[in-house]
Amino acid sequence: MPITRRRLLAGSAAGLAFPALARAESADKPRLTAISQWSAGSDGAAISALGKLFEEHGGIWQHNPVPGFTTEMMNKLRAQIIAGDPPAVSQLKGPEIAAWSKIAPTVDISTLVKAAGYADKAPAELAKSCQPAGHWIALPLQVYRINTLFMSTKGMQRAGVTRAPKSWAEFNDTAEKMKAAGMIPVANGGIRWDDGMKFEIALAGINPDIYRRAIMQLDIDALKGKEVLAAFEQLRKLANWMNPNIAAQGWAVNLPAFVKGDMGMVLMGGWAQGNLMRAGATPADFSSGPAPQESGPPCFDLNADCFIFWKPKGADLEAGQKLFAELVMQPATQEMYSKITGSIPARTDVNLQVDGFTDGQRDSAKNLREAIAGDRVLLSLGHNMAQPNGMTAAMIDVLTDYVHNSAIPAAEGQKRLVEAVASAQ
Amino acid sequence: MRTILPLPAREPKAGRPEVADVWRRRIGGALTQLAIWVPLAIAAGHVVVFTVWTTWVSFTASTLMPDYSWVGLRNYWAVTRTANFQIAYVNLLIFGLGFVLLTMALGLLLAILLDQRVRGENVLRTIFLYPLAVSFVVTGTVWSWLLNPGLGIQKLVNDLGWTDFRFDWLVQSDKAIYTLILAGVWQGAGFAMALFLAGLRSVDGELIKAAQIDGAGPWRTYHRVLLPTIWPIFVTVFVILLQSAIKAFDLVRALTGGGPGISTMLPTLVVYDFMFQRSELGRGSAAAVLMLLSLVVVLLPYGLYVRWQRQRQARA
Repeated sequence: MPITRRRLLAGSAAGLAFPALARAESADKPRLTAISQWSAGSDGAAISALGKLFEEHGGIWQHNPVPGFTTEMMNKLRAQIIAGDPPAVSQLKGPEIAAWSKIAPTVDISTLVKAAGYADKAPAELAKSCQPAGHWIALPLQVYRINTLFMSTKGMQRAGVTRAPKSWAEFNDTAEKMKAAGMIPVANGGIRWDDGMKFEIALAGINPDIYRRAIMQLDIDALKGKEVLAAFEQLRKLANWMNPNIAAQGWAVNLPAFVKGDMGMVLMGGWAQGNLMRAGATPADFSSGPAPQESGPPCFDLNADCFIFWKPKGADLEAGQKLFAELVMQPATQEMYSKITGSIPARTDVNLQVDGFTDGQRDSAKNLREAIAGDRVLLSLGHNMAQPNGMTAAMIDVLTDYVHNSAIPAAEGQKRLVEAVASAQ
Repeated sequence: MRTILPLPAREPKAGRPEVADVWRRRIGGALTQLAIWVPLAIAAGHVVVFTVWTTWVSFTASTLMPDYSWVGLRNYWAVTRTANFQIAYVNLLIFGLGFVLLTMALGLLLAILLDQRVRGENVLRTIFLYPLAVSFVVTGTVWSWLLNPGLGIQKLVNDLGWTDFRFDWLVQSDKAIYTLILAGVWQGAGFAMALFLAGLRSVDGELIKAAQIDGAGPWRTYHRVLLPTIWPIFVTVFVILLQSAIKAFDLVRALTGGGPGISTMLPTLVVYDFMFQRSELGRGSAAAVLMLLSLVVVLLPYGLYVRWQRQRQARA
């Protein structure tokens, strides 16, 4: 059949018309546009599983991951908001929920939350961050304990260590033993938040109350206090036990050496478990528990992932948001998600005794319940939960510089941290 | 035309193409003008509009989104006081000078060596120019592996038996900036070589012959005759390299990511960091404007120089 102008026109018209037809057909089907930073690894697998669940419930799942840090995702979100076309939901967390909710209209999902009985199931700190103006505009999905210590089973055998250290003094002993056995005691990454997180774990382990005052409330007296100095001193020790060859690489490059027992310990949020399992490790290869804790029972340094709901254009997106919110709040969904990523469900009433969760996750969930009861829940600095981005970045500048430059004494590091806080305020 | 009577029948035929020619020429001319001016106006508009807008934003309280309440110089004050910014400008000085001077030196050396009419010159020239075809991101990534003490050169030499060998600049706060110079020179030397070589080849052969007749050896020929003749090329290479040093971003991002710590921060990274990592548009814009000013500091003398030279040539 020769291609004539008329046929070409007819063909293009049909091509234009059919997607429109398809759209008309699916107008009633709930549709969800979403962006997040979860593109690969266990995070990518988990969000894909959530999307599949959404599709099984009759929805159209349109997820656009933006790989990299949360801030990379935020740049796309900003662009979409400026263009007047925000996604129906996007990942966002901590104080950023309040900050971003001021620049574009969000959806009040309080009735859905009430219907699901979710309000008193999520930890209070999280619930608060999801209702910056008094009503729910975001939903927590999963929670990570930042102050988590992963021990390599083979590494422990090699160094003759029988149990995970409970205090920083014990931690330092353990690290010395591992070093003597020819291992690298602390598996770390060379990326800035990783350094910030080490400090946060040190300070939270030394004194959670001081952490709350110094890091979450930016109390100058607390920042200048002896506990913060002690945290800097512990951070220097940690830095000296890290893999010196890590340049700008991520922490996860160490995981094979960690499983083999060439590296002993990982101080990392629960997602390290998701990464380990995804890389082929089994629960026998490692154990996890709270990071060293002094002054009382273990605190819970919390990092959580939430979804914020933006005002959609179109009934299909509204229906999609409703379906998505209902799914995210269901215990079964959170259970499925946490099993993949290594987190614990944001709902504190999910039963973790079932198969698929590890002892580390069960310990983390128990830790969270006890910390809520004992008012020892802290918000993570390194993961943008304690402070907005600008303040976090200013503080982490000081911490990452300190970690990589052993010429800076602890007192000088502390002084710089105080100055950075003052100038970023 | 009408006076040419012997060929009256041809007149209409000859007339029509003439008219068409005129129109064709006019349309062609208009198209040329269109092709030049429209993109130029759009490009200039973009540059000017966004420069003005960024400058404006730098004086406002913008954070997550543009917010046009005036705060004066507060953003500038805040940005210049951060450790990031101060480190970045010291680094720019080290990196800028090291990168430009070493690249020029190596480029010139390669050009002079290639200028000796060596066999396989084309192949060699392609090899030396090849790094230029690679983007800075790739250069940065490749060198980040080569320079990583646990993976690259150090490990190779250690495994070969020289176990004390240390080449761990990449993870040393005070030396990491030199790895940027290393990778930058590797990338830029071929380009400098190509320009220098073109310059050397453009020198009149008579001049060289005259120098040789006067008994000048190769060293004197280059030192006294060839290089002084092509000195405008030095200025060009210098300016091109220097402005690329000032706007270097991809290389440092791929090679060190600004680390270890914040020891290899560069001004571009500071701008990016404030704008897109910290969501502080006002401060990021202030850092961007300061970068523009530092570019002006470089380009203005060059512009004046070019003008001065043109005037001198016009007078001569």
